[in-house]
Amino acid sequence: MSAYERVKQWNTFARIWHIYDAKWQNPFDSAKVISKHIQGLHKPIYHPLNNCGDHVIVFNSRHIALPGYEWKKRAYFHHTGYPGGASWTLAWQLHEINPTLVMQKAVKWELPRGLSKFGLMARLHIFPDEEIPEELLKNVTSQLRQLRPVPRTLDSYSDKEIEEFPKVMDYPNDYILK
Amino acid sequence: MSKTHLYLRTGFPRAPLANGLGRYMCQVKRITIKFCKSHGSSRGVRDFIETDMIDFVKQNPEFVLYLKPRRHHSPHLIAEYLNGEKFHMSFHNFNREEISKWVNLMKTRAGAPIMAYRKLGHTDNPSIQGVWSPFANQDTSLNVTSFPNEKLSRKFQTEPTATELLLEMFKKQQLEDSEANESKEEESK
Repeated sequence: MSAYERVKQWNTFARIWHIYDAKWQNPFDSAKVISKHIQGLHKPIYHPLNNCGDHVIVFNSRHIALPGYEWKKRAYFHHTGYPGGASWTLAWQLHEINPTLVMQKAVKWELPRGLSKFGLMARLHIFPDEEIPEELLKNVTSQLRQLRPVPRTLDSYSDKEIEEFPKVMDYPNDYILK
Repeated sequence: MSKTHLYLRTGFPRAPLANGLGRYMCQVKRITIKFCKSHGSSRGVRDFIETDMIDFVKQNPEFVLYLKPRRHHSPHLIAEYLNGEKFHMSFHNFNREEISKWVNLMKTRAGAPIMAYRKLGHTDNPSIQGVWSPFANQDTSLNVTSFPNEKLSRKFQTEPTATELLLEMFKKQQLEDSEANESKEEESK
């Protein structure tokens, strides 16, 4: 194999770092996309015995959006192993303890069962906010698209925009807003 | 003891001399038949030598046929090919027709070892466009963008949102109202 062929081989199997903005995203839908990139399933060279997965950096995991009543109703089960050691933590409680855990568990469930999970999960880097270590960020060469548009909040509208926004009617002057 | 001889070899198909595209070249270079002059198991071989062998050798000058009489040995054939492969085959109690059939088969073979094919196809040019890499067909502007990038992250919006539709309707209505007002003013003048 010539030097050029060798470099082509390295190039084919190069590990890519993707970045994903989890702001206002459903973690369970996002996990399907992220797990595919971690396993390398999106590559034409994929093979189960071929170690070709990519790294994924997920940031803004504090600002994920769970569908429906999931924050209240989704329970994370844990058992210490001792009698009476069972505990159920609701999603919002878990998110308060650690804002990366809901995302992390969602991706972990999507990965294939078995010991390969540990190696694959090592390629996932979750950060609760916008701060990402510089040494990770400098590896990034690709960004994964968000799965749903980020809605604009009322705070992001300027006073002028609110003023000009079409209204069905004006409140009377003596109307008291609750 | 190793078990390698118990299992079928596996490999990939290969064709010698570009499938004989330029010219046919007989791939066997030497066939050796060992037999016994007296034993009954070599009877078919002896018949083959007496009746068919001379014609067979005259028709095929590309390779040599060796005959080795071996006392009290079971008859067998050894075929050696241009690719270095060597095949043994027993002719024990074979009749004349069977032997001429098998010798003809050994003549026409390419000498490829008998193996289980891992792939059924083979090409000398695996890819014309070159091997894939994660950087192939990527937008070159990615080389100079800094990540995270808002534009690359945002979902493609194909249809306008309800809010956008509402704002558009409102603007249209305002335009129609102003036009109606202008026309009224002109009439009054």
